[in-house]
Amino acid sequence: MNTKKIALLFLSVALLFTSCSNDDDVNPPAPLGDYENGILISHEGNFGQGNASVSFASYDLATVENNIFSSVNSSPLGDTAQSIAFRGDLAYIVLNVSNSIEIVNRYTFESVATINTGLNNPRFIAFANGKGYVTNWGDGGVATDDYLAVIDATSNTLIAQTIAVAEGPEKIIANGNTLYVAHKGGFGQNNIVSVVNSNTDVITTTITVGDVPNSLQLDGAGSLWVLSGGKPSWTGDETAGQLSKINTSDNSVMTIDFGATEHPNHLALDNGILYYYMSGSVYKMNSTATTLPTTAELTGLSFYGMTVNNSVLYGVDAVDFTSNGTLSAYDLSSNTLSNSTTVNIIPGGIYFN
Amino acid sequence: MKYISLFFLLLLFCSQAVAQSSTGSIQRLDAVVLSDVKLKRYTNGYKLTVLSDSILRRNRTSLTDVLRFNSNIYFKENGYGMVSSPSFRGTNASQTAVIWNGININSQLNGQVDFNTISSSNYNSISIRSGGGSVQYGSGAIGGTIHLSNDLNFEKHFDHSVQIGYGSFDTKNTSYNAFYGNDSWSGSFGIAYADSANDYRFLGTDRRNENGAYSNLDINLNLGYVLSKTDVLKLYHQNFRGNRQFSSTLLAPSNSKYETEDYRSMIEWTRIGEQYTSSLKAVHLLEQFKYFENRDLDNFSKGYANNWIIKHHYKRDISKRLALSVITDFSHITAEGNSFSNPKRNAFSATAILSRRITSKLQYNLNIRKDVISDFKSPIVFSGDVSYKILQPYTIKLNASKNFRVPTFNDLYWNPGGNLDLEPEKSYQIDLGHELKFSSIDFKLNTFYIKTSELIQWRPNNVTGYWNPVNIANAKQYGLEAELRATQNIGKHTLVLSSAYSYTETEDVEKKQSLFYVPIHKANASLSYNYKSFTAFYQHLYNGEVDIIGNTLDGFDVANLGVSYTFKSKKKMSYITGFRINNIYNTYYENVALRPMPNRNFNIKLTLKF
Repeated sequence: MNTKKIALLFLSVALLFTSCSNDDDVNPPAPLGDYENGILISHEGNFGQGNASVSFASYDLATVENNIFSSVNSSPLGDTAQSIAFRGDLAYIVLNVSNSIEIVNRYTFESVATINTGLNNPRFIAFANGKGYVTNWGDGGVATDDYLAVIDATSNTLIAQTIAVAEGPEKIIANGNTLYVAHKGGFGQNNIVSVVNSNTDVITTTITVGDVPNSLQLDGAGSLWVLSGGKPSWTGDETAGQLSKINTSDNSVMTIDFGATEHPNHLALDNGILYYYMSGSVYKMNSTATTLPTTAELTGLSFYGMTVNNSVLYGVDAVDFTSNGTLSAYDLSSNTLSNSTTVNIIPGGIYFN
Repeated sequence: MKYISLFFLLLLFCSQAVAQSSTGSIQRLDAVVLSDVKLKRYTNGYKLTVLSDSILRRNRTSLTDVLRFNSNIYFKENGYGMVSSPSFRGTNASQTAVIWNGININSQLNGQVDFNTISSSNYNSISIRSGGGSVQYGSGAIGGTIHLSNDLNFEKHFDHSVQIGYGSFDTKNTSYNAFYGNDSWSGSFGIAYADSANDYRFLGTDRRNENGAYSNLDINLNLGYVLSKTDVLKLYHQNFRGNRQFSSTLLAPSNSKYETEDYRSMIEWTRIGEQYTSSLKAVHLLEQFKYFENRDLDNFSKGYANNWIIKHHYKRDISKRLALSVITDFSHITAEGNSFSNPKRNAFSATAILSRRITSKLQYNLNIRKDVISDFKSPIVFSGDVSYKILQPYTIKLNASKNFRVPTFNDLYWNPGGNLDLEPEKSYQIDLGHELKFSSIDFKLNTFYIKTSELIQWRPNNVTGYWNPVNIANAKQYGLEAELRATQNIGKHTLVLSSAYSYTETEDVEKKQSLFYVPIHKANASLSYNYKSFTAFYQHLYNGEVDIIGNTLDGFDVANLGVSYTFKSKKKMSYITGFRINNIYNTYYENVALRPMPNRNFNIKLTLKF
């Protein structure tokens, strides 16, 4: 180690200390609500049975509070909570079977507004340009009535104009003023990503990806990662899963194929590393790699939803869909289970608050 | 299998060899008149509750309404008039068999009968046989069986009845029935139509029951012809057409609808000899449905199943006190639908029954049955029942049986998920009954224990990513049922009390918890009063709390009140006017979570008989 490096080290340590002491001088901010600083778990509950719910858990899973929406607001949440998205202090809970979006303060969970018109089979929501874009399947059995509903995010009211899209829009993600919609296919199977310009609210292009794109991740380098599960065997036309890397500057695509009968899901991205789930195992892959990993990091799992945050992997297991599910945290530095806790019926989404 | 065939052969030979004298004319008459003789012949050790014509006419026409207020059976109804599934002694909907004139009509697609697709208008009687009946009635007869009977009357008569009714929520009921008989012919015809907007207000809110309208048409034609002194030919036909919207819940809007159409036809040739009766039946059952996710679009999923059955029942009277029966049947089932290609099933079954009357007080039946089904192995099932009249008013009844339920076409062939490796569900049970019969009081007390293994449940499959049915669960049900019927006459005043109570404990053995949607307590009582041409009745139902997924659903009390008056003209003609108040206390209740049931509502009815 030469002197220049040692000097640099001292300098950075010194900086660290000063910044720390600076922090100590500031009064700690008042808590924003009971549900700040922890994990929110959305639960679908049983289809048609109105037992959707949201749970709050501390990061170490030591404390869990179930049914936070209904206990704060004294009313049931709705039917089939498909997903949650955040904008500022608000959380938007998309209720698939209720055809509604419940908007709450993300820290207190007090209800702010409910949107219950203009939605038909809503799935996911993303925000761009002061607007919320909600993927809607329309009637599940109709391939031509799928659309994005648009919400004015300042007034939280629906904008009359919708954007017609191809069959089965599912996950949606915003990159600046551009939205990317993965068309998983609804009741069927699709294989495209629609690109929407939020200034004009028109589809600028569609990008072909693998069959049944189920998850999207944006990295810091301007790449959109799309994981496609491939068509399942029961369709009689089984296809392999595929990982696509879309360059968002020119929409060029680079793909990596999975094995013919491999159907990955739940793509997560943490510190430049991709994680995905396949047949009860979790795999990890550096985002610079060009081949798929061959050995699993974790095995013997049963995840209905999964995500990674600061090298901790969180997964939910819906068990048999009529019993309480579980939330588990795995330390990815040692690939060991850190903690596990019981949550509600059919946990699906994991979000960090 | 070899031993079983041998056993049946042996039985046949025995019965041929030891044939003796006749056992009387009553049995012979039964064979002519009844559509389901087994129900009378082999039910000694079972509790049998018969709902007569007068009870059926007093109630609304859906089988759910009739049975909810007049039996121990609990119903899980998805909002008034919507899909309704029974739980008989804590078992599930596919473990209760519905028997139409002796034939099991549970759906080949899902194994169940939706009790709101059966109209009670066109049957003479509906009987409830509690306890396992797979030997007699096949797959799914685990908790018990419900029997819909059209019996034939060869006495000289020609009667008509026209009924019109109107009630709250724009509910209309119309029906016409005709009955004819002479020495050689008997016939009955019935047509019933029901229609309702069913848009009742949810109590305590400004919301209404949305998308809940229904209409249905039930047509029924039965004919009997005496060919000779020994031969009778009978024809039964029934057609039900239902068109229902599927109502919204408190949290989930709906704009779907469901159309069903069922055709059931049977031709039966009965021969009554000195020492034997033989009946040969040819049956065709067709069930079909169309499900519209959006009722405004012509976009639907559909399914249908055809079931062709040939059934032979041969009964040999070996002595005055001993009879042997052999029943064989063959069925060929085909199905088609959006969720499977076109599966077929061939099924053969053979049953042997020995009935012995040791004395007039003590009798027993021993039954054994083997099914051979093309898709999978079926277990041998058996049952034994005994009834003993210990002293004048008191009879003790005991039955024990092994029963089964075969996987349905959905279980086997649904794409994705259908599992061809499924086995039938197997169930053992025992039932002890006491009956006290005085001239004006009839009391029944039964205790039962049911244990079912290999229960088929759909579970998520972590490897494939979709759901599969698997033989996974085990369940236990035990409990107690009491029924009391009392009649009191004071001059021209008649009071009749009829009540039923059930206590049911259930356990999902694997999860060590109660089964969902089974009340521990359910009770119902009805009191009717008659004076000359005036009749009034009061019905009350208490339905206890039930466990639901992750929660419990409150119990409820609901009651109905009705009056009727009969105007008689000098000739045969009579008019009956009736007025009925449903949910008289205006109780808010949910039979299934988040699906409020109707508030207080009214119905008037006019019946013309001639």
